Amino acid sequence: MQKNALNILLADDDEDDRLFFKDAFEEIKIQTNVNFVHDGMQLMDHLLNPDNKLPDILFLDLNMPKKTGKECLIEIKKTEHLKNIIIAIYSTSSSEEDIEDTFIQGANIYIKKPSDFNTLKKIINEVVTVNWHYHTSGLNRDNFLLRLK
Amino acid sequence: MKWIPNFNSSNSLRVIFVIAVFILLFLSSIAYKHNQDLNESSKLVMHTYEINIQLERLMSAIKDAETGQRGYIITRNARFLTPYIYSRDKVNTSFITLKKLTADNPEQQKNLEKLFKLINQRFVSFENCLKYSDPKTYDKRKLDNHMFGGRILMENIRFKVDEMNDIEKAYLKKRLKIYDAEISLSPLFSISLFLVALSFILLAYRQISRDFERLKIYNKKLLISSGLIAESETIGKFSTWQWDLDTHKIDYSDNQYRLLGFEPGSFVPEKGTFLNFVHQDDKQTVAESMDGIIEKGTLPFVYYKIVRPDHEIRYFKSTGKLLTDQQGSKILLGINFDITDEHLLNIELQERNKELEKSNKELASFNHVASHDLQEPLRKIQTFISRVSDADKAVMSESGKNYITKIEASAKRMRVLIDDLLLFSRTNTTKKEFIKVNLNELLSNAESELGEVIEEKKAVITASKLPKLSVIPYQIEQLFINLIGNSLKYSRPDVAPEVTISSEKVNAADYPEILEQTVKKFHKITFTDNGMGFDPQFKETIFILFQRLHSKTDYPGTGIGLAICKKIVENHKGHITADSTLDQGSVFTVFLPD
Repeated sequence: MQKNALNILLADDDEDDRLFFKDAFEEIKIQTNVNFVHDGMQLMDHLLNPDNKLPDILFLDLNMPKKTGKECLIEIKKTEHLKNIIIAIYSTSSSEEDIEDTFIQGANIYIKKPSDFNTLKKIINEVVTVNWHYHTSGLNRDNFLLRLK
Repeated sequence: MKWIPNFNSSNSLRVIFVIAVFILLFLSSIAYKHNQDLNESSKLVMHTYEINIQLERLMSAIKDAETGQRGYIITRNARFLTPYIYSRDKVNTSFITLKKLTADNPEQQKNLEKLFKLINQRFVSFENCLKYSDPKTYDKRKLDNHMFGGRILMENIRFKVDEMNDIEKAYLKKRLKIYDAEISLSPLFSISLFLVALSFILLAYRQISRDFERLKIYNKKLLISSGLIAESETIGKFSTWQWDLDTHKIDYSDNQYRLLGFEPGSFVPEKGTFLNFVHQDDKQTVAESMDGIIEKGTLPFVYYKIVRPDHEIRYFKSTGKLLTDQQGSKILLGINFDITDEHLLNIELQERNKELEKSNKELASFNHVASHDLQEPLRKIQTFISRVSDADKAVMSESGKNYITKIEASAKRMRVLIDDLLLFSRTNTTKKEFIKVNLNELLSNAESELGEVIEEKKAVITASKLPKLSVIPYQIEQLFINLIGNSLKYSRPDVAPEVTISSEKVNAADYPEILEQTVKKFHKITFTDNGMGFDPQFKETIFILFQRLHSKTDYPGTGIGLAICKKIVENHKGHITADSTLDQGSVFTVFLPD
């Protein structure tokens, strides 16, 4: 574990997606520690366990067994010491309903899972390097869904 | 109540009749009096004549006595004295009769008394004459005196009799004159009265026959309308009932019996009869509403079930009203509707609605499957392909590389299909919020969305002023994108595409076959291009989902774009048509309600 590295946590039940994610982080030249959880229950256990260091950015899939991403989002935002974690929704769905709901619940950005590995790398690079303080203060419905330039 | 014809003339008729009857009574009393008068006057005449006759008789008796006496004096034959002797009795008889006849007239009685005295004097003179003519006591001077005195007395008697006759005649004349006066006034008066009465009766007769005619007409109308009501009750499956609150008499219309499952008039309805038919569950509601109608005067619709004698359950809807007629008696009027058919239909509709809702939910979950679950494996395929690096490709055979390319193209096409399909289904399912916007604004949004293609093809898009309409903005924007995009896509190879958009207001009545006639005005927006066009025989089919006129190798596409356009226009209760001349261009016309 690198000391100054960013702590990244991905909550996704899909093994392939975790693999793409891991590979993408390995290929971008930013120091990160990437951890994975497989479902919502595991995510909450991980976050609430004081032995684990809290992530800087949480990539949250919506469609997960046991506890869905939306449920986790609500719980995190309700928990005092967790509510400041940057949350990036990372979902296959781009339905208006999901985007609207997660925006209202306080997620920081909405990423539609790309169908191209290079695009994935670009997205991750963008999300990791963004000035979150600046982004969050100017957040609105239009820039909530991440669009690559 | 307005519908009852006004037969108030019966009142005036009564007045006319009473007047006529009084006139007739008056006339008959006049006639009776007239008759009495006539009788009276003839009696009077008779009376006068009788007096006259009796006086003449008196006179002639005295004359007889005078003549007899003279005959005796001359002849000294006692036979001549016979009339003289009888005359005294005759005079007395006449005198008694006269006394009776003049009993009511004091003047005549006085005259009669004077006459009686004169006659007595005459008879005394007769006696004296007889005495002094007797040869034994003959005295020529005294005889002459008495004879002469008798002559004077005779004249006096005649004078008195004439006087009495005159008085009687004058009296008769006076009385007759009075009667004449009365009678001469009466005929004219009574005839005119009779005419008045006659005209009154004629007037009344005319009024009666007129009323009678009107009554006949109204009666006929009433018969027809009551027949019609009975018919319409049967056809419309409703019935009426009346409840006179004062007499507690309840009337059912014929159809009420039928609706309850009985022959008309097969029982006599009473206060609680109807409640017996009401289903156990609804008895209380119906009873309460009946009480309510008496209190409030009206009854809002009440829905309940009734049970027929054969245990068939029918659904009823009822309403009623409290009426107070001109006489002040209160009548409860009610209508029952048998709504069993509608009720069952409603239940069926509700079930169908539930089914529809269910299938709608299934569609929504399909939508979710399409948007999420179907995309997941596709996305993986694409991502894995993107992970095949150039280094990997270098060690592959030519055909292997070819296959990878083909897999990539197919996956891409699959993605476009899924995206378009989703777009199409969302046009239907997502919220439809109508906002008033300037269509020119939406058009410029669409143009900037298509910016790259427009630049690449050097297309020229000209638009006239478009209206401000209440629309679903993102859908109309999509419509513009699809229509203009279509024109750009199917442009002629060597001709720069030109799209002209114009708008005008039209009357729905001018397009009766395609436009909704309940909306009067529409905006007709035409998109004219100079592209390759299409065979006009396909102008209907191009709007059908997945229908394509070109092979996907020449022009990639899913056949969904124009179907989306149609759906969007339908969402706005409008209409879209297409027309074209091959190799010259196409015209798409969109009608949107004002």
